[in-house]
Amino acid sequence: MSKTTFDAVIIGGGMAGLCASIHLLEKGLKVALVSKGDPVISLSTGCIDLLGSTPDPMDGLDMLPEEHPYRLVGSDGIVESIETFKRIMAETGLDYVGDAHTNRKILTPLGTTKTTCLVPETIMHSEFSDEKYLHLISFDGIKDFYPSYITSRKTLAGYSTFDAGVSTTMAIASRFEEKRFLDEFISWLKALEVPPGKIALPAVLGIESSKEIISRISRETDRKIFEIPTLPPSIPGIRLFRRLKNLFQAKGGYIYWGNDVASFETTNNHIEAITLSTPGRPHRVGGRAFMLSTGSFVSGGLFAHRDSIRETVFGMDVYLPGPRQGWFTQDFFARDHEIEKAGIRVDKAFRPIDSDMENLFVCGSILAFSQVMKYQCGNGLALSTGFMAAKSLEAGIS
Amino acid sequence: MNFEHCIRCTICVESCPVFKVNPAYPGPKQAGPDSQRFRLDNEKSVDSWIKLCCQCKKCNVACPYGVNPADIILEAQLAYSEEHLMPLTAHMFANNYYMETLGSAFAPIANRVTGISIVKNIMNVVGISTYMPMPSFHALSLGRSWKKKGKGKKKVVFFYGCFLNYNRPDLGRKIRDLLVSMGLEVILPHQVCCGLPALGNGDLKTARRFAKKNAGILCDYIDRGYDVVYACTSCGLTLVHDYPGILDIPNGQKVAENTWNIHEYILDLIDDGYVEPVFGQMNKQIAYHIPCHLRALGIGYPATRLFDMIPGLEYKIFDENCCGLSGSYGFKKKNQETSIKLGEIAAKAITDTRPDVLVSDCGACRMQLGHFTRLDALDPAEILIESLTKATQKS
Repeated sequence: MSKTTFDAVIIGGGMAGLCASIHLLEKGLKVALVSKGDPVISLSTGCIDLLGSTPDPMDGLDMLPEEHPYRLVGSDGIVESIETFKRIMAETGLDYVGDAHTNRKILTPLGTTKTTCLVPETIMHSEFSDEKYLHLISFDGIKDFYPSYITSRKTLAGYSTFDAGVSTTMAIASRFEEKRFLDEFISWLKALEVPPGKIALPAVLGIESSKEIISRISRETDRKIFEIPTLPPSIPGIRLFRRLKNLFQAKGGYIYWGNDVASFETTNNHIEAITLSTPGRPHRVGGRAFMLSTGSFVSGGLFAHRDSIRETVFGMDVYLPGPRQGWFTQDFFARDHEIEKAGIRVDKAFRPIDSDMENLFVCGSILAFSQVMKYQCGNGLALSTGFMAAKSLEAGIS
Repeated sequence: MNFEHCIRCTICVESCPVFKVNPAYPGPKQAGPDSQRFRLDNEKSVDSWIKLCCQCKKCNVACPYGVNPADIILEAQLAYSEEHLMPLTAHMFANNYYMETLGSAFAPIANRVTGISIVKNIMNVVGISTYMPMPSFHALSLGRSWKKKGKGKKKVVFFYGCFLNYNRPDLGRKIRDLLVSMGLEVILPHQVCCGLPALGNGDLKTARRFAKKNAGILCDYIDRGYDVVYACTSCGLTLVHDYPGILDIPNGQKVAENTWNIHEYILDLIDDGYVEPVFGQMNKQIAYHIPCHLRALGIGYPATRLFDMIPGLEYKIFDENCCGLSGSYGFKKKNQETSIKLGEIAAKAITDTRPDVLVSDCGACRMQLGHFTRLDALDPAEILIESLTKATQKS
């Protein structure tokens, strides 16, 4: 065995891949994570949707079709995965609140609510009730947050605008990391004499130190403060991705970032290595087992041609929901386009059914029948299948 | 160019250091693929903000669709420079190699002169920022130690780059000796600047001239069975990414295919059983700042896999922040504010963890972050050398 061979090579650095890798690192394995670019979680709200249809997400499990990947994880597996995720995030210093049995509704910049399960601490006080006053803070020139969208839907609300000197969410978040800026902001906020109630801001309260920043504002104004996730660039999504990536590295994981997988080597249905298309010369990454967590269409794990769908790394057979004319429903914004069922079918050990490769495992939204839009289960599905597939991989190589 | 593949997801914007601190720069999405739609062959370049991109390539790494915004922006920067009068500073930094050759030849005088306050004032007027001392020149540059060293089945050419050559030839010689200790025959042939400063300052012609010259020299050795090894990750990225890419020189692909990062190369030697180095105990906690261009090389951070072999060594990786200097970018007065802000952000992240020492593969990162953290800034090779020396002292 070559010294530079990894125990596990995870392809796809999103939620599923990161959670799977962290589990394997905690079990003492040598892990490489290969990612084409930054993952979709860094564009997300940073919240963990588990299953959106029922107030207790776990009640919705029985209503899912038999083939849905959650059926493989099982309710115990989901509850355990959610707890593991919370433990991991607490270790990174970005705590998440909530539990697998409770959905919550958080406020969006449109003044609507979104159902989700776990949220970062900066969003935990999010609510939208007509009985209590809510004060909104916006920033001069910001394009992704118009408080009047919210106040037009809610009578008991008002807003004020702060001049941060910059107007993009990234730049404002960066300024909040400066102590002098935060001081200035807090004294401005205090001087406003806002009517009693919670205060909400777009999610720009720092990139690295959101926890310290929000607790200081809350302490000094003696109010409950919460963030409202905005359109991408989404600061809570960036925080989540970076914390997970940094934890992966702190635990000794090795990252290959920014390249396609150009090819792979097999002997007798056993994957030996993948080759990355690095500048200059291809770079070989050898492993004992491989995990595919490249995501669905948006993340590039699946690619749709006119009449077929291709899995982009190993060229595996993809489950197709019938012929193309049935892939889409007429309503563009509908949540149940059939094409969402496309993906890789796996057995109980998260091995692909339609492939002969014996040391390959699959997790995340590339799994067939996931339908994350329909069931509102994106990050929950990613992390729970990530942990479960990692356990299976671990058993497979020991 | 793949600008059509952009779905405008803004993932590149999230990783852009300049966008975060300089409101005048619209970010890689707008500066790259968005504006590219309007850049027709017969249109004039009008957006002077294009020069605010520091070419850290973080957007290339972040993009999941293979758009490579930094490369689109680089082309636009070159077009802009072509159509506009290049400022004096750009000429100076593009021809950094000649400036440094002069500086090195008259090192004692040059070093004293750049520290005088009147000279600093003149530099400021010309457009050069002086928030930190200019790197000092060294008379005994590496270009004078071209003789073959070491013996072995494997032979390497060390592409040392301008920083080691003119500013830290002592470190250059140490790295050469490290390669020799790995059982390699090492040669340091005459070479010129990799061409990156010229490329970064809008002078494609000069960059190409340097690249052609180097490619000629390197291919001569490659044909005789040598591998090319670099330590400076920006020179490395230029050799493997830009020689066959934007510079498009003859034999560019050949150079790229035969060029290795030094730590990647040593790892391969260990893996093949060519050497079995014994690393000595080192009780140190290091902050490893990953240069943006090492990230862009896509080979991971190979020095960390060697650090893993050193007993007692603890390291923490910092790969999110750009140091802000970005070669000659931060030495220009107009970028000074951006550069200082980025330097302070990167330095704070590091000093918060209270490391013993700062390590980075890039001379510019070490200069900038050494300045802002007040920590000793070392090349990863120096850590390996220290550990190997400790092992031999013990036995």
